[in-house]
Amino acid sequence: MIAALGVAELKLLLRNRTAAALAVLMPMAAGLYFALAMDGEQTGWTMIVTLQLLFSLGFTVYVTVTTSLTARRQDLYLKRLRTGAASDVVVLTGVLLPVVVLGLGQAVVLLGISVAAGAPMPARPELLVAAMVGGVALSCAAGVCTSGVTGTAELAQITTAPFFFALVVGGLVGSNGALELPVFLVPGAGLGALVGAAWGGPADQVGPAALSLVLWTVAATALAVRFFRWDPRG
Amino acid sequence: MIDVADLRCRYGDFEAVRGVDFEVRRGELFALLGTNGAGKTTTMETVEGLRAPFGGTVRVLGLDPFRERAALRSRTGIMLQDSGFPADLTAREMVALWGVTSGRRATEDVLERLDLAHRRDVRIKQLSGGERRRLDLALAVLGRPELLFLDEPTTGLDPESRQRTWEVVRGLLAEGTTVVLTTHYLEEAESLAHRLAILHEGLVAVSGALVDVLAAQPARIEFDLPERLDVGALPMLSGDVVHRPTGRVEVRTGELQDDMAELLAWARREGLRLGRIRAHHASLEDVFHSARTGREVVAA
Repeated sequence: MIAALGVAELKLLLRNRTAAALAVLMPMAAGLYFALAMDGEQTGWTMIVTLQLLFSLGFTVYVTVTTSLTARRQDLYLKRLRTGAASDVVVLTGVLLPVVVLGLGQAVVLLGISVAAGAPMPARPELLVAAMVGGVALSCAAGVCTSGVTGTAELAQITTAPFFFALVVGGLVGSNGALELPVFLVPGAGLGALVGAAWGGPADQVGPAALSLVLWTVAATALAVRFFRWDPRG
Repeated sequence: MIDVADLRCRYGDFEAVRGVDFEVRRGELFALLGTNGAGKTTTMETVEGLRAPFGGTVRVLGLDPFRERAALRSRTGIMLQDSGFPADLTAREMVALWGVTSGRRATEDVLERLDLAHRRDVRIKQLSGGERRRLDLALAVLGRPELLFLDEPTTGLDPESRQRTWEVVRGLLAEGTTVVLTTHYLEEAESLAHRLAILHEGLVAVSGALVDVLAAQPARIEFDLPERLDVGALPMLSGDVVHRPTGRVEVRTGELQDDMAELLAWARREGLRLGRIRAHHASLEDVFHSARTGREVVAA
C-alpha cells in the first residue's frame, strides 16, 4: 500500500513542473555550484558539503513535503485516501516516501560530486549518516507541521521561508567549529555540527548536536500532530 | 447495517448535529436528506468514520467506524461530495491505486461499466465534470462493497449521466448492496429510496419508509372554479378546501380517491367543466418543505 501511494506521489511530483523544478533541479543546480564554483580548498569542504545537504533537506524534503501535502489536501486527495483502507500513518508515509528517497539520493549524488571535485572522505562517516537521517526526519516533521498552517500550495512559498532559513543559517553556523550552547537552539545547528564533526570537527560537540537534532525533531513531530489537517474544512 | 443513536457533532462551539437517530437495514437504499447546513454531510462523514462523533454512538456493520476504520474499509465504498482526485494522474492509474488503497481489489473493468474505457489514459484534470463523477462512482463500487455511501453522487451531472448513475445504483441494490445516499434532487430520492430521514437544523425532522412518509402528507386536488360559481357550491369533501384569488381551488385531502370521485360526479351532475384539473399524492418535495418550515404545506 505504501509502495502504491509512493509511486502515485512520485508521478504527481514529476508531472507538476514547478514542484519538480523546485524539488529536483534547484537543489541539484545549487549543489553543483557549491561543489564546482566555490573553491573547496579555500572555503573549506565542510561548509560546501553542509550547504549541499542543507539544500537537499531544505528544498527537496522540507519545502516539497509542505507544498505536496498542502496541494493534496486542497485537492481533497488526502480526504479521499482516508476513505480507503490505509491508516493515517500509512497514507503519510506513502506520500512522504518519494520525497525522502529523492532528498537522500540527491544528497548522496552531490556528496559524490564534491568528493570527485577534491573533497576528502569523511573521517567519521557514521556522523554524516546520523546527520542525514536526523535531518530527513526533522525536515519531514517540520514539513507536515508547516502544511498544517498553510492554506494553499502557493502560500507554501511564504510559510516555508522561516524554517528554511533557520535550517540553512543554523546548519552553516553549526558546521563551523566550536559552538556555545545557545546556538543549538537553532534548528539545523545540530545537523551542521554533526557534519562538521564527520569531517574532523570538534568531537565534544557530537553529544549536544545529536541532542539538539533529536529535540527539534520531537518538537516538530509534536507540532505536526497538533497542527496537521486532513481536510480543508478543518 | 448501520445504527446511529443520539449522534452529536460539533465544529468548535457550533453543534452541527444535535442528536440524530436512524438505522439502515441490509439491502435497502436509505436516503439522508436536508437543506444546506442541515448536518447531512457531517452525519455522513461521521458514519463513514472520517470524524469522531462529539456524542452518541455510531455502529456500522457492528463496528465503530472511527476507531475500527481499517476493518470496515474493505467492506464499504465511499463516494465523497468532492471527488478528491489528484489532477495529474490518469483514470487508469487512479483505478490501479484505488485497487490497492481501498482494500477492495478490482474484479472487473469498472471503467467499462461506467463508459470511461475510452478515457482511461487521459489525465483526470482533462476529464469533464461528469466523467470525473463517473470515475468517482467507479472507484466507490470497486470490488462490490457490501455497503456504499454516496454523498450527492449526481450533483452537476447532465440528465443522461444521472440516469446512468441511477442504473448502476439500481444494479448494485439488485445484487444486495446496501446504499446510503444524500442528494439535493428529491425526485432522485423518491425514485430510489426505500427509507429516508430528513434532517433540519441538526435534528431528524421526518423519518421512515418512503411510502409511509408520503402517505402521512395529504394529497392534493387542484382545478379552476368556473366563473360566477361560489366555492360554497362545491359538494361535501373530506379534505380542506382553499380558494385562491386566482380562481384556483385546492383541496388537501387524506382521501384522494373518494374526494375525486365525489367532485367529478358533482361536476357531471351540474354540467360543469373544471379547468386544468390535477390530482396527485404528496411528493417528497411537499414532505421536505413541511419538514423545513415545520408546518403543513400550502402549495403556491
